[in-house]
Amino acid sequence: MSSPGTPPAAAVSSGEPTPPASPAVEAVALHKDFGPIHAVDGIDLSLPAGRIYGMLGPNGSGKTTLIRLLTGLASPSSGTARVLGVDMPSRANLARIGYMTQADGIYPELSVWENLSFFAALYGQRDRAEMIRALELVELDGRLGTPAVDLSGGMRRRLSMACALAHRPTVLFLDEPTVGVDPALRVQFWDHFHRLAADGATLMVSSHVMDEADRCDELLFMRDGRILAQGTPATLRARAGTDNLETAFLHFAALSASTPATAGSAEEAAP
Amino acid sequence: MNALRVRAVVRRIVAQFRRDPRTLALLFVAPLGIIALLGWVLSSSGASTARVAIVNESGNPAGAVVVTKLTDALKNLPKIVVDADVHDAATARQMLIDKQLDLVISLPKDFSLQSRKIELKTLGLNPTGEATVIPSIQQALVGAVVSEGGGALPTIERSTVYGSPDATTLDTLAPVVVGFFVYFFVFILTGISFLRERIGGTLERLLATPVSRAEIVLGYSLGFGFFATLQIALVLAFVLGRLEIPALGPVPAFAIGLGVRTVGNPLIAYLLVLVLGLGAVSLGIFLSTFARTEFQILQFIPIVIVPQGLLGGFFWPIDQLPSLLQPVARILPVTYAIDGLRQVMIAGADLASGQVLFDLAVLTGIAAIFVGLAAGTIRREVA
Repeated sequence: MSSPGTPPAAAVSSGEPTPPASPAVEAVALHKDFGPIHAVDGIDLSLPAGRIYGMLGPNGSGKTTLIRLLTGLASPSSGTARVLGVDMPSRANLARIGYMTQADGIYPELSVWENLSFFAALYGQRDRAEMIRALELVELDGRLGTPAVDLSGGMRRRLSMACALAHRPTVLFLDEPTVGVDPALRVQFWDHFHRLAADGATLMVSSHVMDEADRCDELLFMRDGRILAQGTPATLRARAGTDNLETAFLHFAALSASTPATAGSAEEAAP
Repeated sequence: MNALRVRAVVRRIVAQFRRDPRTLALLFVAPLGIIALLGWVLSSSGASTARVAIVNESGNPAGAVVVTKLTDALKNLPKIVVDADVHDAATARQMLIDKQLDLVISLPKDFSLQSRKIELKTLGLNPTGEATVIPSIQQALVGAVVSEGGGALPTIERSTVYGSPDATTLDTLAPVVVGFFVYFFVFILTGISFLRERIGGTLERLLATPVSRAEIVLGYSLGFGFFATLQIALVLAFVLGRLEIPALGPVPAFAIGLGVRTVGNPLIAYLLVLVLGLGAVSLGIFLSTFARTEFQILQFIPIVIVPQGLLGGFFWPIDQLPSLLQPVARILPVTYAIDGLRQVMIAGADLASGQVLFDLAVLTGIAAIFVGLAAGTIRREVA
């Protein structure tokens, strides 16, 4: 299903310093324009495997577009998106990637089980136990026959997540996964995310809720299609000189607004 | 191409339909209801009595004998009344216009046992209704003339006061209806299903899996092809078959099915309609790109479906269309399906017929173009 033989396009990244280990998710000078709008405006990323990365930023900051570029659903205006060493878009590589979209993306007429087994089949997952496990995680294993249309909004969100997990992806993109999910289950979700990361999976979670940010290993503050700052929650707090991530975000946002665009990367490189 | 992924798409479509009984009803009950209504209307128009006059313009003795024989033969037929007081052509014509007569049988001036030309004249305002009485009159005519002259059959010429005598009966209409229904329903259902994929976010999600665009289009074609197959089989069985139900207590006797005679192989008719339907699947996927709501899919009906009904040979033969419209008609898939179905069901053509093969080839080509267009509009920036 996957194509480990695909060589990364070396020419594009020749100017970049090579990271020590092959990163799970990479972006090199990534741009995506929609007409005059720069949805992704020059993003460079090199994210090692086995960690949870939180993308934080207001609506329209380019989080979803970045995910779509990394999953190959959109092609970049310029630059390179690379997942597990393979340049995206790559259809074969998608078997190793999971994507929970912001919309639920499930079929309302179909039952919980029919939805899950449909997506599992497209990913080539035939292990029934693994599919059941995904449903157990989201506590829908008791509702296999319920049509999705009869589920509550939060349950639909959970089913959507199970559909992204059932094929045990190596890299998982979750676009606002916890919206509408009640707090108790949200805690379980994050515990599971950490278990997946401990098993070697790489997770990129977008959110505009700051209180989830602390559960990420590393944060990407995003605004206007750019990354304002990147680091562990503790580092970012320390650099901003505040205990509050929200204040930290505003600090970096003000910093980038007052400095020319080229200084953005210098700020990130600063000790 | 991965068979398991295609199968997953097909199974999903079937499961979605199972959960949606109203759509299933639309697919299977609606066409039967409409066709039954059509058959009912057409058969009842033949149930009224036809008033017939016989005019002998030749004035020769051979003609007079034929008129006598014909009058006797027609008197024995049900639902036909012969008006014996009409003898000249001008009166008969006026009575047709005044609707005092339905049909005039005329032996022209040059009638003789050698030329044997006989004219049937109707008003021409309603070719379908007027034509229902013709077969029985033709039989009576043949009987009367043959018994007199011995051997050779008479030439019968149809003419009408208005319009042309190209009468459409249920027999010639049935092939059209079969093709048209499949096209219509398959297009609407695929268009709406795929639109829902687009606006419901499931298409985005599909495209984030390793499934290819070709696999999606093939899965859709097979899934909808499965239901189209059932629909075609049911509609063909209803049109071609006839089951008489005897009267039972207060329920009068009735018949299920139209019993349209087909001389051709129903399997070839089925093949034609199936290829047409597969093209409609891809057309539905393609056009769903240009709609934002289900309502906008319905707006394609007057744009995509109705012109095909008007130009595709439903009412008028292509050759009789205005010359500007003829090329338009020749690029519409329904045109070729109707032509092929008429060749098969009326003329009894089979796969040895060049015309049927040509129609099949064109339909396949059009379907292939639509498949290409459909695959092109399922956007993922992946090869």
